[in-house]
Amino acid sequence: MTNQTAHRPSVPRPTAEEPEKPATWWSRNQLRLAPYAFISPFFLLYGLFFLVPILVGLYLSGTEWAGLGTPQWVGLRNYQDLLGDRSFWISVGNTAVYVLFTMCVVVPAALLIAQALNARGLRGRDMFRLAYFMPVVISPIVITLVFGLFFEREFGIVNGLLRAVFGFGGIDWLGDPLWAKVSVTVLVLWRWTGYLTIFFLAGLQNVPRELYEAAAIDGAGPVRRFVDVTLPSLRPVTAFIAVTVLVNTAQIFDEPFLLTQGGPGESTLSVAMFIYRAGFQRQQLGYAAAAGVLLFVVVFALGLLANRALGVGRDNR
Amino acid sequence: MPDLDRRALLRGMGVAGLGLLGAPLLASCGAADRTPLTAGPVGIRLWTHDPGYVTTFETAIGEPGLVGDSEFEFRLDVTNAAPPDIITRMITQAIADGNTPDLVGLVIDQFARVMGSSIAENLFVDLTDVVAPLGDELLKLAPYTVDGSPYSLDADNSITVFYFRQDLFADHGVPEDAATWEELAEHGERLSRDHEISLGVVSTGDNLAVANSFFQFFLQRGGQVFDAAGELALDSAEAVEVLEFMTEGVRSGFLLGLPDPYSSAAAAALKSGRLAAIAMPNWYNAYGLQANVPDQQGRWRMRTLPRFDAGGHLASTLGGTGFTVLKDKPGTAAALDLLSRVFLTREGQLLRYRSGGFLPTLRSLYRDPELVEVRDEYLGGQRVFDVYAPAAEDLPLFHQAPAMQILTDVLGGPVLDAVRGRTSPAAAIEAAIVAYREQVKR
Repeated sequence: MTNQTAHRPSVPRPTAEEPEKPATWWSRNQLRLAPYAFISPFFLLYGLFFLVPILVGLYLSGTEWAGLGTPQWVGLRNYQDLLGDRSFWISVGNTAVYVLFTMCVVVPAALLIAQALNARGLRGRDMFRLAYFMPVVISPIVITLVFGLFFEREFGIVNGLLRAVFGFGGIDWLGDPLWAKVSVTVLVLWRWTGYLTIFFLAGLQNVPRELYEAAAIDGAGPVRRFVDVTLPSLRPVTAFIAVTVLVNTAQIFDEPFLLTQGGPGESTLSVAMFIYRAGFQRQQLGYAAAAGVLLFVVVFALGLLANRALGVGRDNR
Repeated sequence: MPDLDRRALLRGMGVAGLGLLGAPLLASCGAADRTPLTAGPVGIRLWTHDPGYVTTFETAIGEPGLVGDSEFEFRLDVTNAAPPDIITRMITQAIADGNTPDLVGLVIDQFARVMGSSIAENLFVDLTDVVAPLGDELLKLAPYTVDGSPYSLDADNSITVFYFRQDLFADHGVPEDAATWEELAEHGERLSRDHEISLGVVSTGDNLAVANSFFQFFLQRGGQVFDAAGELALDSAEAVEVLEFMTEGVRSGFLLGLPDPYSSAAAAALKSGRLAAIAMPNWYNAYGLQANVPDQQGRWRMRTLPRFDAGGHLASTLGGTGFTVLKDKPGTAAALDLLSRVFLTREGQLLRYRSGGFLPTLRSLYRDPELVEVRDEYLGGQRVFDVYAPAAEDLPLFHQAPAMQILTDVLGGPVLDAVRGRTSPAAAIEAAIVAYREQVKR
C-alpha cells in the first residue's frame, strides 16, 4: 500500500486546512454495486424480453381483448372455454400424434442414419451429411411448393409413382383427414431426421474405439456392439435430443401450417396453430393467450419429467 | 462555485451525453405531430399486398388530369406485406405508437377481423358522407360495411365469369351458350367419361379455398352467407342444393377437385387440356390463364355464368380488396382525397383498369364508350365488357360478419367431406352450422 502511494505522487492529498469531503452514497457503495452493474444488461434484457411477455401473456389470458381498447377482465373464463372447445382438444390430439411420431420414428431413424454415416470407409460421407442436413435450411416456401406437388391427388408425383408401380394411385394425401396427418408426419420426418443425425454423429465420434475393439475381441457382432456399446455411450446425447425434440414438437407449427393449413377441416391442426388462429385470424387475443399459457404449462411439465426420467445433465457414471 | 473534481466532471458529461443521445430516441418513440395537413406536400403511407395497387396509385399521383387540382402534392411511401400481416401490424402499430398507415388495402376476408370490438370504428374514416352523393352508383360496399357504415372502397368488382376453351368446346360438341349449369353438367359428365376433360373446379385445399369455392356458387344461386345484420344465413335449401351440385359434379368428373385454382395442379390441368372451362373472377384471366398457359392465347373465351335451374343470379363474386383511410392522422384528409379521386371518379376508375386491370366499381362505367370498346387479345379479341356489363347488373350482395374467419374454418372440413363422399351435403351444412354456433358464442 505504501509503495502504491509512492508511485502516485501527483494525487492531491487532503490537508488539515481542507476538510475531507463527506462520502457520497455512490462512493460508499460503488465497489459493492459494480458487479451488479456489469451483469445487469443480461437481467434487463431477460426481464424485458422474457419475463414481461410471460407476465403480460398471463394477464391477457384472463381477459377478452381484440387488440384495441382496454382488455376486459374475464377471470378464468377463457380456460373454462378452452376445456370445452372441441377444436382445442382436436389440436391437442393432433399434437400428441406428432410428438409420438417424432419420438418413436424420427429419433430412432436419425440414430440409425448417424450410425450408417459413421461407418469407416463410407464413400461420399460428406455428400450424405449435406443431403440429410439440407432440409433444415431450405426455405419453407420451397417446401410448401415441393411437397404440395408431391402429394397432390390428381397430378402429384407420389400418386403418379404409385400408379406407375402398383397401378393404384388415388390416395387423397392432403384431402383425407387420415392421409393428411400422414403427409404432415412425412414432412416432419424429412425435415428433422437429418438435423438430429448431426447430433448423433457428433456423439458417435466421441465413443472410444477401444470399446468396440474390446467387444469385438469378446466376440460381439455388429448388432451386439450397437446395443452394448453404442447405445449406452450415446445415452447423454439421446437424452438431450429426446427432451429438446419433445419440447419442440409439442410446439409444432411450420409443417402443418405449410402443408395443409391445419386441414382438411382441423385434422392436422396443432396447438400452436390453434393459438395462431385465435390470435391472428380471429382477433381473440385473450383466448389465444390462455391456450398459450396451457401449452407452456404442459410443455414445461413434460420437459421436466423427461429431464428427470432421462437424467439430462447428470453424471451417470 | 461548487467544487468540481475530474471524476464528477466526467460523470456529469457522461450523463449529459446520454441525455443528448437518448432525447431523440425517446422523441422518436413518442407520438408524432398529429396536426392535420390541409394542403401542400404530403407523404402518404400506403400499405398493400398487391404491387398492382402500388402501380395504380403511383400512376395516379403523376396524372395532372386526376390530381392536378388537389390542394395536396402527393408522395407515396409504400409498404408491401402479406394480407394477414397488414392487419396484424396495423393493429399492433395502433396500440404501440399510432404510427399506422394513411391508406391501407385490406383483402376482403381479412376485413372481417376489424368488424368486431369497434376496431373499424376506432381506426378508420367512416365513408358514409363520401359515398352518399353516389347513391346506388357504387356497386360493392356491403362487405366492408360495419353497423351500416362503409369503411372501405372496393378496388375491383371481382365479377365471376365463365372462361372456356372455345376450340375444345367445338371439338366435343359442347354448346358455348348452355343456359344452365345442369345442362352443362350433362356435357361435362360425358366429356369426363370419354375424354377425361372437366368443365370446372371445386377447391379441395385449405379451408379458405374450400369455403370460397362453395361461397361462389352459393351466392350465385341466390344464397346469403350472412344477412345485412351479420346473422348467419347458411341454414337454407340453397346451401344444400349447391353442395349437392358440387358433390355430384366431382363424382361425375364434370368438376375437377383441385387444391385451388391457382395451384400447380390447376396449371397442370390447364396445360394438359384436362380443364376446358372454369368459373373464376375477372382477374383469373391474367393471374390464372395468361400466367399458366400463355401458349393457349386465342383459344379461351369468356361468358356470363350459366344459371342454376332453380334460379339465382347471372354472376357471382369472389374476393376483392377494400381501401381504407386511417382517421385522426396528419395525412387523413390527403389520403381520403387521393382515394376519392382514384376510386370515385370516371378518370380514376379508367386509370385503375388501364394500370392493373381492376374492374370499375361504378355502375355507369360498364356502359362507358372507352371500356365498351376494350378487346382482350388473350381471349381472341373478345369485347369483355359485353360480358361484364350484364354480370355487374346482376351481381349478388355479399355481407360479412366479425366471425367470418370462424365460419371459413368450420365450413371447410364438412364441405370437403361432402365433396369426397364421406358425408351427405345436408349433414355437412348442418355440421358446419352447429360448429359455428358453438365457436361463435364465445
